[in-house]
Amino acid sequence: MTVVMNLDQDRLNRAEQLEHLRRKMAGMSGKTSGSVGSPWRAASSSAPSNTPLPDSENLLPLPEMLAESLLGALPRGAVAVLSGARSLSLRLVAAVTAAGGHAAIVGQPDVGLLAAVEMGADLSRLAVIPDPGTDPVEVAAVLMDGLELVVLGLGGRSVPPTRARAVTARARQKGCTLLVTEGAWPGASAWLDARVCGYELAGAGADPPTPGCGRISRVRLDMRARGRLARPVRAVGE
Amino acid sequence: MDWPAVAAAVAAGLPATAPVAVTLANRVVACSAAARSAGVRRGLRRREAQARCPQLHVVTADPARDARHFEAVTAAVDDVVPRAELLRPGLMVLSVRGAARYFGSEQVAAERLVDAVAAAGVECQVGIADQLPTAVFAARAGRIVESGGDASFLAALSIRQLAGEPSLAAPGREDLADLLWRMGIRTIGQFAALSSTDVASRFGADAIVAHRFARGEAARGPSGREPPRELDAVMSCDPPVDRVDAAAFAGRSLAGELHRSLESAGVGCTRLAIHAVTANGEELQRVWRCAEPLTEDATADRVRWQLDGWLNRRGAGQRRAGAERPGNHGGPTAPITTLSLHPVEVVSAAALQLPLWGSSGDDDRLRARRALVRVQGLLGQEAVQVPVLSGGRGPAERITFTPLGDEPVPRADPSQPWPGQLPEPAPTVLLDDPVDLLDADGNPVRVTSRGLFSAAPARLAGATPSDRYGELSWWAGPWPVDERWWDPAVPEGGSEATRGAGLVKYGRTARAQVLLDGGDRAGGRALLLCYRQRRWYLEGVYE
Repeated sequence: MTVVMNLDQDRLNRAEQLEHLRRKMAGMSGKTSGSVGSPWRAASSSAPSNTPLPDSENLLPLPEMLAESLLGALPRGAVAVLSGARSLSLRLVAAVTAAGGHAAIVGQPDVGLLAAVEMGADLSRLAVIPDPGTDPVEVAAVLMDGLELVVLGLGGRSVPPTRARAVTARARQKGCTLLVTEGAWPGASAWLDARVCGYELAGAGADPPTPGCGRISRVRLDMRARGRLARPVRAVGE
Repeated sequence: MDWPAVAAAVAAGLPATAPVAVTLANRVVACSAAARSAGVRRGLRRREAQARCPQLHVVTADPARDARHFEAVTAAVDDVVPRAELLRPGLMVLSVRGAARYFGSEQVAAERLVDAVAAAGVECQVGIADQLPTAVFAARAGRIVESGGDASFLAALSIRQLAGEPSLAAPGREDLADLLWRMGIRTIGQFAALSSTDVASRFGADAIVAHRFARGEAARGPSGREPPRELDAVMSCDPPVDRVDAAAFAGRSLAGELHRSLESAGVGCTRLAIHAVTANGEELQRVWRCAEPLTEDATADRVRWQLDGWLNRRGAGQRRAGAERPGNHGGPTAPITTLSLHPVEVVSAAALQLPLWGSSGDDDRLRARRALVRVQGLLGQEAVQVPVLSGGRGPAERITFTPLGDEPVPRADPSQPWPGQLPEPAPTVLLDDPVDLLDADGNPVRVTSRGLFSAAPARLAGATPSDRYGELSWWAGPWPVDERWWDPAVPEGGSEATRGAGLVKYGRTARAQVLLDGGDRAGGRALLLCYRQRRWYLEGVYE
């Protein structure tokens, strides 16, 4: 059902290693695309896969890292529960808005949108509802008819299963993906968890980094995914 | 190009000789002749324009007002030559062959038109040429270009004139003109001298259209066949439309219906006939023309302006009921009972730019906007915010939020240099919690007036004992923020107000990054701290 595969370096073939190194070099040499550079670029070292990606008509565009490591993208209209690092939801928002879809972030008044801009988001297609009042699920349900991605911050609230079923069905019917954070969603089709596993400091010297020098240049995330629709894979991304 | 200024002057009751400027997003988009002679130009900021001409009367742009006032001019032209078409309020085009035959010569026809429009109280210029875009430029010069002389008339104009008339060109035309200028092509004649295969291979489709215009060739042939009547959108208005707000609603629903039928036929409309029948059986018709296929928004706007104009004339006509006036200057004498939209000229879907997901991008945007407006109805207007990248130094200042519906203007210009801006990456979680930064002895760490730490920071403690902070494994800073050091600003209350309201200046501020010692393999979190009013605040978390 849900198995977490471990990655070993020796399972990568030579081509994968070269690709991985090339991407790291591209990341280190600075900006590659967009007017704001993206130190959030990913270098995935997942096991090689033979299944082709499903066609993109009814799939959300995922950032390449997640697309490879999940090996089966999130279909549009799915409900996924996100936990852990906030940059996962921001990266998905950035990918969707950059590809032309509209997104909204509900119930997260502390979201750092500048990070989303650095990841490539198009702010003209994004709306933020910092305070959804007493019923954020209702607000998310209203937004589903018209947007392609809704990020819902439950703030620890619990959602009764009947309500969750109704909203899930509406999401599938309208073709809008719902990402739920800070709470649980009964009947979600995918669970994505991201944890910070380290930071890269520029100009701080080798391990251990010298205090007083340098600055944070990259955040390293460890992502886990499981669910009916996504092949379970653990990957290390940057 | 001056029509918005003229309409604004008429609406405000100013004489035609008064200097008037019309602004959009704080920039001047049209000005009257008197303002131009005082030095006001298009593209200036409002303040600068007012500085150049102190008596300048500044008005914001309102296309509905322009269209409403232009209706009188259209009616006057209709009396002289029927079936004139509108490109935009301020610009009408018509075929001159019939009028020239009727009046004897093109010169006489032009004079009659000028007289008729002058009788409506507006100055106008007439230009005649072989092709429509050339005629627009000929009108600017007030010339009649002899037959076959289009290319030589255009050859002397500067290449920037390619973008001079926005209703004739695709939206990217300004970039094309800029690019050609930078390549050294300075006049339209030089552009016409290039070979068309070169232009086609180097530039895009819009450049091909511009090239044909430069050579005086026809831009696109006639559509050949009349579009089928099934594409029409008809609405019978019950109760009859007599007021402007009912007109707006009718316009929207008709535009939606028309575009659904156009989409299912896979075509876009470039000439639209708006047809109305009143309760007294009168029929009114106007044809609107557009260079690019019309979007649903644009169609709804034009229908609303046209109805606005007709209803306005009706109101004016009723007020002048005592005077005897020939022709249909009085406008419709009864409310409108049937409204229909008939696409006169359509282009195939290849001319439309269908984006990736199968429906036109504007449609998606409209749907998204409707959903957001519904949420605004539920929660209030301030609840839905739209972000825009702004200038500033900290991560919170660099995003400006405006409520949906207002124009998203950044609080500060992001393209200006902002020395001292925090480098990327930006923290993904923004907070404003007070914390204590302590050194190894437990004393609080300050930032001295020289911009240094008073002691090396060693641990971070929260305001409440339950906050999970701890030892620092790494820190960097302080990075002083040199902003308005002369301003002893009073802090605005509360963390929400700090982020939502304007830029708050706190005097000496500094930022620092710290890495908490998590102890296990994963390490701790990295935080962004901000020093304000001699206190440290947790500004963001990098996660």
